Amino acid sequence: MNLRIALAGNPNSGKTTLFNALTGSNQFVGNWPGVTVEKKEGRLRHHDGVTVVDLPGIYSLSPYTTEEVVARNFLVHERPDVILNIVDGSNLERNLYLSTQLTELGIPVVMAINMMDVVRKNGDRIDTAELARHFGCQVVTISALKGEGVLEAADAAIEAAQTAKPMPMHIFSGAVEHAIAHIEEAVLHDLPAEQQRWYAIKIFERDEKVKESLHIDEKLLAHMDTDIAAAEKELGDNAESIITGERYVYVAHVMKSCYKKQDRTKLSVSDKIDRVVMNRFAALPIFALVMFLVYYIAVSTVGTWVTDFTNDGLFGDGFHFLGIGRGKYEAAVTEYADETLFASETLRPTILRAVNAEVVGADEILAAIDDRDYFAFEETWGAYGPAVIEHLAHGSEATATLLTETFDAILAGAPAPDGYGAWVPGVGVLAERGLNKVGAAEWLTSLIVEGIIGGVGAVLGFVPQMLILFLMLAFLEACGYMARIAFVLDRFFRRFGLSGKSFIPMLVGIGCGVPGVMASRTIENERDRRMTVMTTTFMPCSAKLPIIALISTVLFGGAWWVAPSAYFLGIAAIAVSGIILKKTPMFAGEPAPFIMELPDYHMPSVGNLLRSTWERGWSFIKKAGTVILLATLVIWAGSKLGFTENGFGFSVDMEIADSILGRIGNAFKWVFAPLGFGSAEATVATFMGLLAKEEIVAVFGVLDFMGMTRLAGYSFLIFNLLCAPCFAAIGAIRSEMKSHKWFALAIAYQCIFAYVIAFIVYRIGALFTAPVTLLSTLGFALALLLLAGMIFLLLYPKKQTKRDK
Amino acid sequence: MIPLTAAVIGEENIIGQIGGEAEAKKHLADLGFVVGGTVTVISTIAGNLVVNAKGSRVGIGREMAQKIFIL
Repeated sequence: MNLRIALAGNPNSGKTTLFNALTGSNQFVGNWPGVTVEKKEGRLRHHDGVTVVDLPGIYSLSPYTTEEVVARNFLVHERPDVILNIVDGSNLERNLYLSTQLTELGIPVVMAINMMDVVRKNGDRIDTAELARHFGCQVVTISALKGEGVLEAADAAIEAAQTAKPMPMHIFSGAVEHAIAHIEEAVLHDLPAEQQRWYAIKIFERDEKVKESLHIDEKLLAHMDTDIAAAEKELGDNAESIITGERYVYVAHVMKSCYKKQDRTKLSVSDKIDRVVMNRFAALPIFALVMFLVYYIAVSTVGTWVTDFTNDGLFGDGFHFLGIGRGKYEAAVTEYADETLFASETLRPTILRAVNAEVVGADEILAAIDDRDYFAFEETWGAYGPAVIEHLAHGSEATATLLTETFDAILAGAPAPDGYGAWVPGVGVLAERGLNKVGAAEWLTSLIVEGIIGGVGAVLGFVPQMLILFLMLAFLEACGYMARIAFVLDRFFRRFGLSGKSFIPMLVGIGCGVPGVMASRTIENERDRRMTVMTTTFMPCSAKLPIIALISTVLFGGAWWVAPSAYFLGIAAIAVSGIILKKTPMFAGEPAPFIMELPDYHMPSVGNLLRSTWERGWSFIKKAGTVILLATLVIWAGSKLGFTENGFGFSVDMEIADSILGRIGNAFKWVFAPLGFGSAEATVATFMGLLAKEEIVAVFGVLDFMGMTRLAGYSFLIFNLLCAPCFAAIGAIRSEMKSHKWFALAIAYQCIFAYVIAFIVYRIGALFTAPVTLLSTLGFALALLLLAGMIFLLLYPKKQTKRDK
Repeated sequence: MIPLTAAVIGEENIIGQIGGEAEAKKHLADLGFVVGGTVTVISTIAGNLVVNAKGSRVGIGREMAQKIFIL
């Protein structure tokens, strides 16, 4: 037996839940050919050779949204053996409107009425036998969430596929039927009999896509049009509205005989929740609170814990399994530190001197010493130690070396964690040990440990955090709140040429740009979607946080406003880009009008939440993993191969300045000179940021920043926050844009925008903070010109396009 | 006929006419907004409307709502 069941139904009718119940874990997620709408297929449980295809949720088989086109193309061209039409029993009338269209396709249909428990609870009654008689198909009742009647529905579908003769029962009014009969006779007589009716109705509706696909002769078309026009004249409306109207009249007629509604004035639970959540005063504060919670959990607290664990434990040195032995280890280290480091009488005064001389980070080291906290000391010393030593040595290289060696010896002498309890070494450590054991060449060990494990680990380090974020988003989406957020924010986003649905990608983008860009799929309007894809990565993602933190500490003494200013910059960049881009011919026209169903609130099942979380997480891993692996290898080679005294060669200890990467940085540093950071290191760091934004901090440490002015540092921050995102996100932009032209345009726009903003800020600031020269005056003038240009573009009235009128 | 934006909250109205582009009109129709059908405004928020049509709750932008006229 080889059979295909297509699942069709309205959005929010429980289709995905039913699909999961039918197929268990045998699913393949992909995209429909040519579009980014998700395609899901799975094997039916307990049956061989039966495939279930989950069609996108649709309200109708019209050709206007991507989902509708995808669903109807599949139904019409691929012709599944049977359609399992899932119908939300608590919203019968609107759902049956789609059923009237599905039963016209000439494919056997089985109607599965979902949410019967809600119907019963409301005291309503649905007469399924009567419904079956009207629609000419079998009708079963199910509860997808509880898994009740689900497999029976599938059995009914299999039986219908093998025996049922599809027979459209619904008949339009005389004039319409007359025209349809003519159309069937004139142009569709070559098609199989059961398929003719659907095509005929579509031709009657003047559906351009169907007409094109049939390649009908011009003369015949004109001839049929007189029939259609006659019907339109008789019924006093246009063809499409006639069909829609008659369908609803028919559904209302069916409802009368098979649906008994309990008279009730009581508000439903959803209405009660909406009274509060969608209240005109409370809506925004509640929304802000929910967003704060999402951010707080996914980024600040739980997210940071899991990220630290993966980065420092799994892909770092290692971790104590279940914490076994950690207490003993910490006690041993504290004891060691008390006897050596903190026993020294000269340590504190020395660091205090550095603090008094305002050496960056020295105060943090001092705090660690005062707390007698070895781990804090180790961390702060690692970051700021070199700066302190440079200060203490007064330019004497011998003193500097001596100090470095002394501290290194103390740190190296500390007890190692693997001697205590259940220590699990990190992946990199394990690999290095294994490679050393088998005697692998030095370059191979470096390639695997630093290149591959280091690079891929950097991406995978974000996965646990992403999963937490996805889980919360899945909950907000499934419970019905997400649709409300989009609705509440629509007016606000509309001012910037975006729609309320653009909010979700930007929210996800705070975690990571890759799933953020992928989340833009829910936006149906193509222009709105492209605009969202182009601007989403302006939001500072979590990989950009270390850069912000470092610059804020090193250059601005930890000023409170630096981090918020980065988010403000991101939001402003989105708003400004939205307004300006909307005035270009490519994006002209109003954003698509907002119409969106606000589904009933309900508690989602744990299984569905986990499944959706995993699906998003897995596609993130696949996307980030493959792109990053390739990029890591290139960057690794670029930083380990270079020109030393011995000529060109490989060295694991290659200095950045000597490496190929450093040379390239040196060759291109002039590009960034006008922005104030034209050093080879800053240029390399910016390039490395393309691999993963947090790499910037790895390459470009505290010492490099100290040579910069605050203004140049902030300009560096602006450019790196706004320019093209990391390769993984660039890859995501590419696949969502589905076009080389749009992809190139998006990346070019981001880079130019970042450059212009950094230029304006740096050049205008430089006039007040640096000595005035001819060059800086010219730069200032150009910056003013650019600023004026931007303001002009912002305020310049939009040209009226044909679409607008 | 008055636009839907001027409807009294909580009162059931009958749709008299729907304007706008064919595409948006069809989408509205698919969601249950048809001439002769009923529509109830449940609440308004920042100019947008939450309405009930054919038993389902739909959020609709002001631009759209201004093109739906009730009797």
